[in-house]
Amino acid sequence: MHITRKLVAALAVATALTLPAMAQSTITAPGQSTSGTYMDYMKTVYDRATFAELLQVPIATFDKEFELTPMAAESWSQSEDGLTWSFKLRDGLVWSDGEPLTAEDYVFALQRAATTGYDFAWYWDFAGGIKGWKEVTEGTADVSTLGLEAVDDLTIEVTTTAPKPYLPSVTSLWYPVPKHKVDELGDDWALNVDTIVSSGPFEIESWEKSNNSVVFTKSESYTGPWQAQVDRLEVDPSLGAPEVGLPAFLAGDADYSFLNTGQVPVAMAADPDGIRRNAVFATSYLSYDLESEPFNNVDVRRAFYHAVDRDELTSTVLRDIAIPAGSILPPGYPGYNPDVVGQATFDPEKAQQFMADAGYPNGEGFPEIEIWIREEGGYNGAIVPAMAQYLQAELGEHLGITVSIRQLPGADWMDGLRGAKNNIFIAPYEYDYLDPSNFYGIFYDGGRHNYHVDEYDALVAQADSESDWDTRYALYAQAEQVMIDQGLIVPLVHPITTAIISSELGGEATEPNSLGFTPLDRLGHYFFTHLTK
Amino acid sequence: MLGYILRRLVSVAFTFIAVSLIIFLMMHAVPGGPFDANDMPVSEAVRAKLMAQLGLDQPLYVQYLKYMWGVLHFDFGVPYQSPGESVLQLLSRAWVPSLVLGGLGVLIGAPLGILLGMAAALNRNSWIDYLASAVATIGLTIPVFVTSMLLILVFAVWLKWLPASGWPNPERWILPIIAYAAIPVATYARYTRSAMLDTMSRPFVTVLRAKGLSERRIVFQHVLRNSAIPLVTVFLPMFIGTATGSIFVEAMFRVPGLGAYFVSSIETRDYPLEMALMLMITFMYCIAYLLSDIVYALINPRIRVGGAE
Repeated sequence: MHITRKLVAALAVATALTLPAMAQSTITAPGQSTSGTYMDYMKTVYDRATFAELLQVPIATFDKEFELTPMAAESWSQSEDGLTWSFKLRDGLVWSDGEPLTAEDYVFALQRAATTGYDFAWYWDFAGGIKGWKEVTEGTADVSTLGLEAVDDLTIEVTTTAPKPYLPSVTSLWYPVPKHKVDELGDDWALNVDTIVSSGPFEIESWEKSNNSVVFTKSESYTGPWQAQVDRLEVDPSLGAPEVGLPAFLAGDADYSFLNTGQVPVAMAADPDGIRRNAVFATSYLSYDLESEPFNNVDVRRAFYHAVDRDELTSTVLRDIAIPAGSILPPGYPGYNPDVVGQATFDPEKAQQFMADAGYPNGEGFPEIEIWIREEGGYNGAIVPAMAQYLQAELGEHLGITVSIRQLPGADWMDGLRGAKNNIFIAPYEYDYLDPSNFYGIFYDGGRHNYHVDEYDALVAQADSESDWDTRYALYAQAEQVMIDQGLIVPLVHPITTAIISSELGGEATEPNSLGFTPLDRLGHYFFTHLTK
Repeated sequence: MLGYILRRLVSVAFTFIAVSLIIFLMMHAVPGGPFDANDMPVSEAVRAKLMAQLGLDQPLYVQYLKYMWGVLHFDFGVPYQSPGESVLQLLSRAWVPSLVLGGLGVLIGAPLGILLGMAAALNRNSWIDYLASAVATIGLTIPVFVTSMLLILVFAVWLKWLPASGWPNPERWILPIIAYAAIPVATYARYTRSAMLDTMSRPFVTVLRAKGLSERRIVFQHVLRNSAIPLVTVFLPMFIGTATGSIFVEAMFRVPGLGAYFVSSIETRDYPLEMALMLMITFMYCIAYLLSDIVYALINPRIRVGGAE
């Protein structure tokens, strides 16, 4: 053989041998919670294992512009009376063990959730409005009465108690459960890597339970939209704290890291091109016990509403980590209304007048109050305590009252809120699904706050089932007007998260959306499938 | 001696029961339960089902007796945080990294501290003494998460000699072991220095010198042995404290160890794991102090355990 040909042949063999190794791309990402129980979103949401949802394919999900995109479903339609939705699944979807993925797996997921005690059960009652959900979860009706049916292998029918025009967006959190595995192993199928099966763009390779870190690999069997573009994805929740994540990122051990307040300027100086900001669909607000002194007086609540200088707050103590909130809805969220936002003005004179009207001129005679805040991690950890101290000073200065702060662990704080063990709280809330009913629902008829305000409840109930979107948004705006007029809450700030990403990362998911924000792993399915390295 | 040990073991059993009762009552006296920290509260019906699954619907005394009956059979229940395994399996899995890193930290740190303390005592008021005091003060006063951060910054980010954090490969152990060793080095340096100075000022050392013994023999055979009591007192409790993991060191260096479970079991109201961890620690301390007492008698015949003589 000619020497050149030999060389070419040798090179070709060498290239063929090394290509697979070179093409192996691994992304190391921070996770959120260092403990997780089941690798099954439909078993537990609050205690789920790291990115359990990435293993399964939802009916639909959101892209970075928050456009709803069909995933397992090919299409959907609503009946004329608005009460029944029909979802048509894609043909050819399978579980990673080769079993076909069918409508039955989706229906079973919710039937099990309704009967076995699911920490996210409220969502399917209140967001999904599925017929019979409340009765079945309370044990007063049989699971067969649920408004869910697998008409055939590829068709799911959902019947709701009232028209739910936004039901398709609710299905972004509807993942299948492998019925064949549950029949064989019960819920324990989701406890060990050996028995976990997946239906989505990733499969599981390993799971270290001591810190809930998980290694995912690109699924070879997934045929639906949004296939993974990287071979391996290592998610380590111990990188979630910026204090650990950033040094690891700088040492080359992580591909991106979230930043705390002090780190933002350092990271900006080190690599301005790598900085990504995101407005989280979340709001921190003041809420009260409406039944007890002094907050059973609407004038007191109105005074608080006008006593907060949100612009100063977000340009000083919360600089780079929050923006002012004038509504419970964050900017960019469906139904966001600038007219509502415009009313949340800082007006100390008006606030003082309200206090005088309430019988507390210059704060005289006003009882000492204690704001209860929750121990927070993540973005709220930097925002809430600093904001509480700011409010303490502001309310003292403008209203002449004495405020103290008490920080409690999550369970104790929630216990205090639900049981009205205190009269004022700073409450943060992050959306669960992309519809105004999510945020307005937390104050609806007992919801999260034990609020029962008839006028508000009537408007929210009406808006919830209104199928004309303009009318719907108008009704929600009226509901928020009731909140403002009665001073039910004081919207304070919306959080901003900042991250630094490696220049080795590419793909659509690393580029900002049209609002200039990069949601990163807040949109897990979109992010991890539109990422390259 | 044997009678003494038996009597001590009986008192360990009583301590154990008392601690278990106190912990159990305190755990349940804290408001909230395993499902109360969620952003949205679960409905009463759902909550009742979830609580029944964990057996939390039964009266407290039944829960306590059931748990303690299990403990007698080495069954500490199933951790709520990790339902796929028993508490014992969780402990045996998560303890390994803590034991390796914390254990090595103490085993390396303690001898280093003793050497440093000896050097300081033998060269009192010299630069060695001042250096040892400075090292000991720094080691004891700078919080371990600051030390850890500095170690990562210098050796991983700036010099790039070592990886910043992580677990499986041994080169990732070096920085956390140094972080763990800081406290034993500092503690031992201080204890050794003062114990040795105290011993060296005793008349018997003067007698030994007068007898013409070499300085080396005096130091290693007599002074060190007579100074060992405080070192023994400190060693076992320190070993337990360090080898059961530190939430800070483990979090900073991403070690999948036991440390974080001490906090997460309380935060998430993981009752079985919280009880098991507390009982384990109680048991280990009881045994450690018993062993320390026995070792006292062995190294210093003037101490008689049992108190009868």
